[in-house]
Amino acid sequence: MTPILEVNDLTVTMKRPFRTLTALDRVTLTIGKGEVLGLVGESGAGKSLTGAAIVNLLVPPLRQTGGSIALAGRRIDTLSRDDMRKVRGREIGFIFQDPSTSLNPVLSIGHQLIETMMTHLPIGRDEARRRAIAWIDRIGIPEAERRLDQYPHEFSGGMRQRIVIALALCAEPSLVIADEPTTALDVSVQARVLQLLKDLHGETGVAMLLITHDLGVIAKMADRVAVLYTGRVVEIGPTSAILNSPHHHYTHGLMKATPTPNMQTQRLDAIPGSMPNLAAIPSGCSFHPRCPRSDATCRDHLPRLSGVESGFACWHPLSAGGTS
Amino acid sequence: MLRYFASRTFQAVIVLFIISLIGFALVANLGDPLAALLSPDATEAQRAELAASLNLNASFAERFLSFFGGLWRGDFGISYRTHEPVAHLIWDRLPATIELAFASLILTLVIGIPAGVHCGVHPKSMLSRAIMFSSIIGVTLPTFVAGILLILVFAVKLAWLPSFGRGGVVDLGFWKTGLLTASGWRALILPAITLSLFQVTFIIRMIRTQLLEVGQTEYIRFARARGLTESRVWYLHALKNTLLPVVTIIGLQLGNIIAFSVVTESVFAWPGVGLLFLQSIQSADIPVISIYLILIGAIFIIINLIVELTYPVIDPRVLRSR
Amino acid sequence: MSIATETLSHRNRAIQGLEWLWQSVRTAPGPSLAGLIALSLVLFAFVVPLVISSSPFDPANADLLNSLNPPFWSEGGSMVFPLGTDDQGRDLLTALAFGLRTSLIVGILSVIIGLVIGVSLGLISGFAGGAVDTIIMRAADVQLAYPALLLAMIIDGAMRQALGTSRDTNTAIAIVVVSIGISFWVQYARTIRASVLVEREQDYVAAARVTGRSRLAIIALHILPNIMAPVLVIATINLAIAIITEATLSFLGIGIPLTQPSLGTLIRNGNNFLQSGEWWIVAWPCAVLMLFVFSVNVFGDHLRDVFNPRLRTRR
Repeated sequence: MTPILEVNDLTVTMKRPFRTLTALDRVTLTIGKGEVLGLVGESGAGKSLTGAAIVNLLVPPLRQTGGSIALAGRRIDTLSRDDMRKVRGREIGFIFQDPSTSLNPVLSIGHQLIETMMTHLPIGRDEARRRAIAWIDRIGIPEAERRLDQYPHEFSGGMRQRIVIALALCAEPSLVIADEPTTALDVSVQARVLQLLKDLHGETGVAMLLITHDLGVIAKMADRVAVLYTGRVVEIGPTSAILNSPHHHYTHGLMKATPTPNMQTQRLDAIPGSMPNLAAIPSGCSFHPRCPRSDATCRDHLPRLSGVESGFACWHPLSAGGTS
Repeated sequence: MLRYFASRTFQAVIVLFIISLIGFALVANLGDPLAALLSPDATEAQRAELAASLNLNASFAERFLSFFGGLWRGDFGISYRTHEPVAHLIWDRLPATIELAFASLILTLVIGIPAGVHCGVHPKSMLSRAIMFSSIIGVTLPTFVAGILLILVFAVKLAWLPSFGRGGVVDLGFWKTGLLTASGWRALILPAITLSLFQVTFIIRMIRTQLLEVGQTEYIRFARARGLTESRVWYLHALKNTLLPVVTIIGLQLGNIIAFSVVTESVFAWPGVGLLFLQSIQSADIPVISIYLILIGAIFIIINLIVELTYPVIDPRVLRSR
Repeated sequence: MSIATETLSHRNRAIQGLEWLWQSVRTAPGPSLAGLIALSLVLFAFVVPLVISSSPFDPANADLLNSLNPPFWSEGGSMVFPLGTDDQGRDLLTALAFGLRTSLIVGILSVIIGLVIGVSLGLISGFAGGAVDTIIMRAADVQLAYPALLLAMIIDGAMRQALGTSRDTNTAIAIVVVSIGISFWVQYARTIRASVLVEREQDYVAAARVTGRSRLAIIALHILPNIMAPVLVIATINLAIAIITEATLSFLGIGIPLTQPSLGTLIRNGNNFLQSGEWWIVAWPCAVLMLFVFSVNVFGDHLRDVFNPRLRTRR
């Protein structure tokens, strides 16, 4: 079966006067039809960048300089500007992080929904309006017909994010990229928004690239997970497998730093140090300065990912149970 | 909604009141109206009579109230220089200034808005670069220097257009217009260009900056991520968000146009209110200066009020956030 | 992108430093050149009057035999008066230096006046809050109804009447300085007030207060350093506006008296000869005015972008 999304050796760079900084280094991942792939890592690891690169919305000076991106078997990174525009929204939906800034403040939400559908679907204004009302209803906002003509500032943060989700899904895409969809929300509404996302995923069968730094979200939502560090995929595989027995020390570190409901007695361990910035990515395995198991090999040689569907990039992988 | 309108209007009236107070303070404290209005050999009786008719012996508050009341009735006092009623002097000159101001406002908007939008949407195109480069010159060129240069080229060297005056004027009874004669139109060209030069460049730069800023926002990125067409993204999503500051600035511009009409009218000997104001300053004609001060303030406040009252139409957030 | 400065090696820091330098040279050759031009003009204005001690505007120095000489390259011109002479036989090159000097002095003094008033009122407004704040900020709003030029004219007219005929040249210049300077305070006051309101809430200010530092010490130590950059930018751009305003006022005959050379009076004088073909008398001061204002604006714009791209004042 052809995966819905195939990202192969995706490389994104930023040109500086004396050198070129690499923001994404040969990122490879696939998402099957209807599958949810979680993408985790610390901020600055390149998670959002991966999402932006897939829909070709990189902000200069960032630029894709290598690799390929294919959607349902068709390459989309070589499309013309206008053809790529038709992919966005119609085939790949995008959920932005912060609902307080991602909705246009001077256009009613009905307007934004209707124009999105009319841009992509062969329907008239009346039909689009009818569907917009249905969408508002579907995302759990009461009095849909009245609220259609209201402006973003008249909705709560959680409602706005649900509207953003509706906007991303209203043109019936086969893949949606959700970039930290709950990070900017109050903890109290995060669960509801996540549940909505899960419900809609179940109803529409849309595949999802779920970008987050929260392993709890991953555990709840994702079929598979990819771990990103300094612009490289360091580990990828089925969620349960990775969460139960990570192979990469970075994944392990991330998990130890995440609180879970049934671990009241255990203490949280932060990974020592912090992620280096792009201008100073260490040689070899870029995690080696922070890794408890690093040696000369790690410092000098870059480990390759052991498998595309499921694999890790580490010279001294952890075996099951968490020991090396 | 109604509360917003009411509070805005109330504030405007307060400011107008304060400006009138300042204007009156000028008249009340500067210069001696008796010396200015009477001949040096006037008798004591004449002096007393004038002092009584001008209410000079009353308290400051009483005099201000009668002055303020007079403003509403169109009684603006008497000029020290010409001994004519100020209202008459100003009314006589007003049409010239208004025609000039509106000609340059139209010129400003017709050139400035499209050019500004182009520069904001395509900041890197050759045309944008050319526009931005010439706009620096426009900002640098003082109004009077621009006027001098235009006269030098189009009036002195080429002798195409007149360098001073209003040309043929038709008196409509209530309004003396220069727009009904060919010479009137010809005379309007150079002053209108001079006056709009700075405003055009200002508006271009303003709209461009606004658009560039809005272009970086998340909601524009999200609009792109939804696959909306570039023209929809720019001309609807971005432009509608820049409207608020742009409308404000255009309102403020009218105030600037009137101020700089003093300079333009002086360079082109244009017989408007600005020239009258200049002559009044040179001869320290305080009543005219103070009325001009109040008048400009009033015009500005009214424009500002109109602009603010249109805000809720442009941006639904306004009613809530204030 | 990310943090982790401790992992930056010295080599990397050196490269980043180099990059920064290269970037400013490469991206801002114009502003650097503009700054250089402005500086040279300032030097020209202040050095020439030192060398030539007697002003060409002293009536005793009138040289009617050499009046209305064209620039050196035209017929009848000579290198004695490289830029030509005016109707009184004044050498225009010298006159320009004297004129620019007056304009600069007026400009700088009026910027200082606006700055001092504006910074003080901004600090008071920000710290006092309440009614004081409201009054100061309303006053700022009211003043904004009047463009700087108009305000300067009105103040000039009022002062003329107030001071009557006792005006001498220095009083006239002082009036111009004050009337231009007053219009500038609003911008500083608003910027400073906004900055104070932000800083006031910062932890370190609260901490300083708890440790018993006086308000004045807090202002001097924490707030002033933070507002240096915006104030410097506004001042630079105001200098250009002040010089244009001075020239405009003087050109209109209500600024500097004709007996005193300034860019404005030189242009006003030269304008009388425009129709008769002696273009150079008006052209030189216009050119110097434009060159100086242009350079200062370009430089100021660049400063603004460097310090803070979002500094533009908004309503």
